[in-house]
Amino acid sequence: MTEPIVQLQNLSKTIRGKQLIQQLNIDLYPGQITGFLGPNGAGKTTTIRMMTGLMHPTEGNVIIDGLSLKEHYEEAISKVGVIVENPEMYKFMSGYKNLLHFARMHKNVTKERIQEVIQQVGLENRIHEKVSTYSLGMRQRLGLAQALLHRPKFLILDEPTNGLDPAGIREFRMYLRKIASEEGVSVFVSSHLLSEIELMCDRVAVIQNGQLIDLRDIHNESSSFYYVEAQPKEQVSAYLEQCDFNFVAENQGYVVEMKKEDVPAMTTQLVQAGIQLFAVQPHQKTLEDQFLEMTGGGQIAEANSK
Amino acid sequence: MVAMLILVILVPAGITKYYEVKSPTEGSWQDIEQDAIQSYKETLAGEDLTEEDKAYFQEQMAISEYRLANDAPSQKDSSLASFMSFTSGMLTLVTLFTVITAASIVSSEFSTGTIKMLLTRPMSRAKVLTSKLLTTFLFGLLLYVVNVVVSALIGLVLFGMGTGVELEMVNGQVVEKAVWSDLAYHYLLSGGDFVMSTLFAFLIGSVFRSSSLAIGLTMFLSFTGGMIVMFLSRYDIVKYIWLTHSDLTQYEHGGGSMIADVTLPFSLTVLAIYAVVFLVISYSTFMKRDVTA
Repeated sequence: MTEPIVQLQNLSKTIRGKQLIQQLNIDLYPGQITGFLGPNGAGKTTTIRMMTGLMHPTEGNVIIDGLSLKEHYEEAISKVGVIVENPEMYKFMSGYKNLLHFARMHKNVTKERIQEVIQQVGLENRIHEKVSTYSLGMRQRLGLAQALLHRPKFLILDEPTNGLDPAGIREFRMYLRKIASEEGVSVFVSSHLLSEIELMCDRVAVIQNGQLIDLRDIHNESSSFYYVEAQPKEQVSAYLEQCDFNFVAENQGYVVEMKKEDVPAMTTQLVQAGIQLFAVQPHQKTLEDQFLEMTGGGQIAEANSK
Repeated sequence: MVAMLILVILVPAGITKYYEVKSPTEGSWQDIEQDAIQSYKETLAGEDLTEEDKAYFQEQMAISEYRLANDAPSQKDSSLASFMSFTSGMLTLVTLFTVITAASIVSSEFSTGTIKMLLTRPMSRAKVLTSKLLTTFLFGLLLYVVNVVVSALIGLVLFGMGTGVELEMVNGQVVEKAVWSDLAYHYLLSGGDFVMSTLFAFLIGSVFRSSSLAIGLTMFLSFTGGMIVMFLSRYDIVKYIWLTHSDLTQYEHGGGSMIADVTLPFSLTVLAIYAVVFLVISYSTFMKRDVTA
């Protein structure tokens, strides 16, 4: 694989004896969209703040395009576009003036580029109105615009679809996919909307109690599952046991781990045995199932003090 | 704020002019001076006068006699110079407005959450804070200039250059008062309080991220500063706190500090040290801070 554009190396943060983040190591690659998941209080925002230089890590380092954020802050951060939580803009200025203000702090952002970005996020009609009149979704769009102004190589988004309408979310997803594949931008998205992450991302990193507990690719499960619904159940389970399949009962049927090639044979045999077959369909565990399985339920992560 | 400042200068100018036009003085200036000399004489003839009072009235009488002898009328009405020395009092307002700006320029970024947008730009935090500080002082300077220019213009239009001569006694000699250089010196010395208050408000605003605390504390110290200094004046330590020195106008007209052995250069040195201390604290806390806003 290509060189990683962002590397988190042993990133740790301790505040008043509480270890919020422990030894986090993640590599992010160009053209890849990585989702960042974790229950509330797991340390997602703290990690993102350390990646953007808003917080100083107690230990470890963030390397962006070969440059350490600690030692070469200005150069390293100039390759990063950021939305941290709600993008707060200057409410007393128009959206355009906000963009102009932020553009001045970067090198090489032309007026044409500002117009281009405004068009991309679909704010042409309201850009000259004051930000205080904007809805949350419009502020999100403006936030995205300011993050994209300087053509970053790496985009960090914290809850980016919060407040966007369905069309906006879809547009946003398409747009992220486009800049990732066409411009090779690496995107790091944290979100609570698991279905959203599932549609958007190539990879997910899951964090709990400040530790990385899983980093996996989505969409290529090594083993496949099928949902089989048939009556009577005793005979079905007896048959499945006989065939040496792993299976678990779910709803009216069973979820069976089996190869695609075995499906026709199984169906024929079940029918021949006089079992009433209602449904055989591919079964995919949703990200939600996987997430809950990994993090073990909904309680807010306990800060582990030492 | 600029508009408010102009208004505050304009209103008393109008009132003064209105009353001057309404009640013109009667008689020639010579008559008035004669009357004044007469009344000084009567007062001096009185018995229960302290040495100080005596010296004062004798001085005034000498000046009046000098006016008659040298045909140098006093300032009958308000003039540009007298109006400007009146509006130099408005510098307090300039300081107040600058303090408000200094207090909120950093803290408001935190309270609105825009600080995180600002600090994720390719600018080091030192640069961000320096630009904030420069902006504050440029704004203060603008108010200073507005104060001087507006009061000069209004004074010139409403009162003119004036016809009289300001006199004073120096070492037993009657001389013409150096009105303009006195005024310029006053503006310069007022800068001491202006700079220190602004830096202090900037410090509190950027360290505690609360503009109300910063404005409140700065104002509180500027009101009670004199009292604190009086209270501490028995101890040596009073020489080394900045409140003793920040009002530099105490050195005007050849005056000295109310604390013994304290001179203008000494005051300036103490203020400079405090200014550096304030800045170092502001910068170091701002650079180290974890931004969670």
